[in-house]
Parts: sequence; structure tokens; C-alpha cells
Amino acid sequence: MDVHNYSLLTIVSCCAFLIERTKTCPSLLNESLCRCVNTISLTLVHCNPRICHRRDMDLKGAVKDIIPWDGTLSSSDFYLSARTFSEKWKMFNPSFPPWQWIPSSKHHLVASHKVEGYLSLENVCHIKSSEEEESNSSLTWEEESKNSQSEEPFDYATLVCPEDEVNHYDFHIVYSSSYRVPILYFRSYRSDGQLLPFNEVEKDLPGHSAKLRSESKWTFITHEEHPYLNRPWYKLHPCGTSEWMKLLYDGDSTLNRNGFVIEQYLVSWFSVIGQVVGLKIPLEMLNTVVYNDS
Amino acid sequence: MNEKQGLSWSASLFCELRTMSTESPSSVRKVVVHLRATGDAPILKQSKFKIAGTDKFAKVIDFLRRQLHRETLFVYVNSAFSPNPDELVIDLFNNFGFDGKLVVNYACSMAWG
Repeated sequence: MDVHNYSLLTIVSCCAFLIERTKTCPSLLNESLCRCVNTISLTLVHCNPRICHRRDMDLKGAVKDIIPWDGTLSSSDFYLSARTFSEKWKMFNPSFPPWQWIPSSKHHLVASHKVEGYLSLENVCHIKSSEEEESNSSLTWEEESKNSQSEEPFDYATLVCPEDEVNHYDFHIVYSSSYRVPILYFRSYRSDGQLLPFNEVEKDLPGHSAKLRSESKWTFITHEEHPYLNRPWYKLHPCGTSEWMKLLYDGDSTLNRNGFVIEQYLVSWFSVIGQVVGLKIPLEMLNTVVYNDS
Repeated sequence: MNEKQGLSWSASLFCELRTMSTESPSSVRKVVVHLRATGDAPILKQSKFKIAGTDKFAKVIDFLRRQLHRETLFVYVNSAFSPNPDELVIDLFNNFGFDGKLVVNYACSMAWG
């Protein structure tokens, strides 16, 4: 047996041991176990890419079968899910600008083979209404000036919003490695670039947003440093995310669903988070997320 | 088209028109909503309701809140997403309804650190 096969054997037996452990100790953290499997899988692939790939899939599958899903996703899954989300958004929500993937790295000194970055949707104009809006209505996010230039075909590059009446919003979806879930960061500024204080932002948020935030505590807004841009942004706190993501997928832990869940994760996640900031997912887009066993 | 064909054509057209006028426009059409408790959420004594299709989903959410005396509800559909409160119930039913009803799941908040 050559060195590679020997290492393989050791690693596979370690995995078998770990899997056995989880049966007796279910509280063995999902996270650390997943990390172990990921590291082991990476090592396997590194050792012998040809035969390791299939083993890698088998191991991950075996582990996922045993451990109920905890509502989180890995950084590479986030990238996959982000791609699906932005593609669907482009397809089903053409009245909005598309989400862009911004590659970024927090670690400038160490080269990382991981795909790192975040989704960005910027310069969405929120036109303040002059009259009182119904408390239940969603915000209307307008990309185009209502008054002038309505004859011109819509062009993001030459976006012009009327000066006084508009607040601009930037949205970023950033992965949190500590919570292992996405987080929505946003900031708002006037046309002259001045950042809005929170009491102004709150006026823009839909009526039901306050219920979601302050009463239900499924999420709430904090003001923190953007992990990539080192500037204070508003963020929707992620502490409850894994819990309600688990609910959304009914705690279903079958292997068949897992690949599907990961791909659709951001769409489902955004259906909740978007409500807090007044962004809606079109029903046709949600239709692609619904998983039908029958 | 001969006379006979013409007659049967207009007859069927008339029948169609009649059906259209007696068929309820969506403003009258009601949707059956089945409210399903998940997790440790309390189960309603009566879980099936009819609601006007033109009502917004917000009405379902508010109804649940009042019935359960809880503000901390999480409401979702088809194990996949949470509907925006501004969506019309009829649109949700048309897209995600099954077996003649719209199943709406609800859960109460969980304690987390």
C-alpha cells in the first residue's frame, strides 16, 4: 500500500469514528463536525483527486443523513446560493437592478482558495411620498424619476432621481462565518451623499417592518462596521436566522433536500429579510423555490 | 358556416357568457386557508377559514396574532418562504395552493442567546 492509500484509510476510519460518535452524542456540534468533514474532504481531494471525489461526496452524504440540518450554510454554499439568487432575481425581477457579486477578501496576506465576496444592490431610490401612505403598504422602490425623462428608455448608467424627494439605498448580502448565515447590510443617504440617521430610515421602512423587528425579535437592526468596507452600516442581526431558516424548511433533514435547500437558501432567506426593508420577491420567483415531493 | 353551425356557435357563446357573468369575479371569490401549527405553537380549535381572495395576506397574519394573542409569529408557506403581507391571498392561492386550499404554517418565536 502506498503512502496515499494509507493516509486515505486513516482518514476514512477517523470519519467512521466521528459518525459513530454523533449517534451517541447528538449534541456534538453540527458545526465542528461539518468543519471536520470539510477539512477531511479537502485533504482527501488534495491527496488523490481522482478517487477522492466520490468518497468526499459519500462522506458528506453520510454525515448529512444523520445530523438534522441546523439552518446554516457554509461559505462555499453561500456562494452557490448567491449565484442562484442573483440569476433568479435578474430573470424574475427585471424592474430592479441586478445583484452583483463583489469578490472581496478579508485576508489580504494569505491567499485563499475559497471564493469570498458579497452580493451588492446599490443606488435603489426610495421616493418619499408627499401624502400619508397606508400603514400596510409596501414601499414602492422606484428606479426612475417620476417627473422627468420618463420617455427615455431606462438606463442604469444614467440614473437620475429628483433631488429632494429621494433617499438612496445600498444593500449588501454578506456571509457571516461566525453565525454561518447571510446578513443583510444596508445604508441610506440623500442625493447629496449625506448619510441618513436611523429615525429617517425608519420612516422609509414599511409598516409591518416594526412588527417583525421589535415585537417578534426574529431580527432587529444594529449599526455596525461593514466587514469588508470598514464603515458603519445598518445590519439585520443574524442571531435568529438559523432558527427561522430551519422552520422554513420544516427541519427536513433528508439528503435529497439538502442540495436543493442550499441552492434556494438565499431566496427563502430573502423572502423574510426583504419584508423588513420593503423589498419583495416576485411570486414567480418564489414558485421556483417550492419543493414538491409529489 | 351554415345556419345550424351558426346557431350552435352562438348558443355556446351565450352559455359561456352566462357562465362568466355568474362566475364570481375575484372580488367575491373566497379562498380556503388552512392554518397549520408547527413546533410548539398552539393549535387553533378551528384551523380552516375562508377569506376573500382580494384581501391581503396581512389579514391572515393579523387574524393569527389576534387568535393566539401573540405578536411573535413566524408565518410561512410550503416549507420554503414567508409571504409578503401585501400579497393578495388569491395570488398566493393560485401559485401555491394545493387541494383547493392554501396551507399557511405558523410558529412562535424561539428563545435563543
